[in-house]
Amino acid sequence: MAWIVTRLGYRVGYALLYPIAVYFFLSSPKQRRAVRQFQRRALGREPGYRDLFRPFFIFSATLLDRLFLVDGKRHGYALRIVGLDLLNERIARGQGCILLGAHLGSFEAMRAVADTGCPVEVVALMHQDNAVNVASFFAEWAPRQAAAVIPLGRPDAMLRAKECLERGGLVGILADRTPGTGKVTRVPFLGADAAFPLGPHILAAVLDAPVMIAFGVWTGPRSYEVHFRPFADRITMNRRNREASLEATVRDYASRFEHIAREFPYNWFNFYDFWEETGLR
Amino acid sequence: MSSAIAIESEVAALIVEALHLEMTPEEIDPDAALFGEGLGLDSIDALEIALAVSRRYGFQLRSDDERNGQIFASLRNLAAHIDKNRVQ
Repeated sequence: MAWIVTRLGYRVGYALLYPIAVYFFLSSPKQRRAVRQFQRRALGREPGYRDLFRPFFIFSATLLDRLFLVDGKRHGYALRIVGLDLLNERIARGQGCILLGAHLGSFEAMRAVADTGCPVEVVALMHQDNAVNVASFFAEWAPRQAAAVIPLGRPDAMLRAKECLERGGLVGILADRTPGTGKVTRVPFLGADAAFPLGPHILAAVLDAPVMIAFGVWTGPRSYEVHFRPFADRITMNRRNREASLEATVRDYASRFEHIAREFPYNWFNFYDFWEETGLR
Repeated sequence: MSSAIAIESEVAALIVEALHLEMTPEEIDPDAALFGEGLGLDSIDALEIALAVSRRYGFQLRSDDERNGQIFASLRNLAAHIDKNRVQ
């Protein structure tokens, strides 16, 4: 399927997107409810069908683009990068930088930025199941990138992150959800408390690295905007009382993430009950 | 006390201190799993242990060591690895 799409070209793939997205949309009532729940909060009104369908379409579009971008077929793509100077400033300091990502927009767009001449190495920490999928996907499609994913769950995962930072590299980690095992704290997000992982903040505090927020949003066919925004030059915590001492930074993250979610509501890819309000999860 | 047991209790104390565990070093079973089941540590804890080990014993635990699964498997294995590689 992937092979066919990349051979036939982008136009054919794009035409197939509508039926695929409609199929996803119609066959995923839980996900539809989750999108509605998010959009009520983010848009501040009752979403219509067009609103509800849009994230399914954009999600499908990012999957299609992934096939092209991973394959190195960047021709025809427009990548706008916002905040690159801020990232470069931090890179120039040589201490590396932690990038807090989220399930908002496309990882591939960010990877494409890395490929277009990031002067330092970039790795992404990912949960085992995802990592295995992503790693085998990359091994098949782009062997050169296979090394860039660090699977979480092995005791030495964070050592690899530390060594990458010591070499001045960038370490990406998802800061908006955990697979259910990690430590979380509930902080206000779009009007109600939601659980956010502590892990990324603990990592930054332990390694004393600067932290930025990074995400790449789909803005139109083959168009992405990748944003790098400052978060903290360093995160400090009281080791005896980690959860309480990190609450302020997690709150700060959630409020910035709220701002981003309102700015790009149709790139929200957390297709589950984010606030655990109705037990949909 | 044999030296193996001495280093084990020293490393147990180091772990308890570095991670602020609410238990005594003696309560760590030397053969129990440190991660997942057992003591239930995670990879950030492993990082903190590695940082504490480098400060105390003067050598780095590295991610490219193929034996990491084994080294981090239990207190006994970790202590033995430290004993073999320590430079201070």
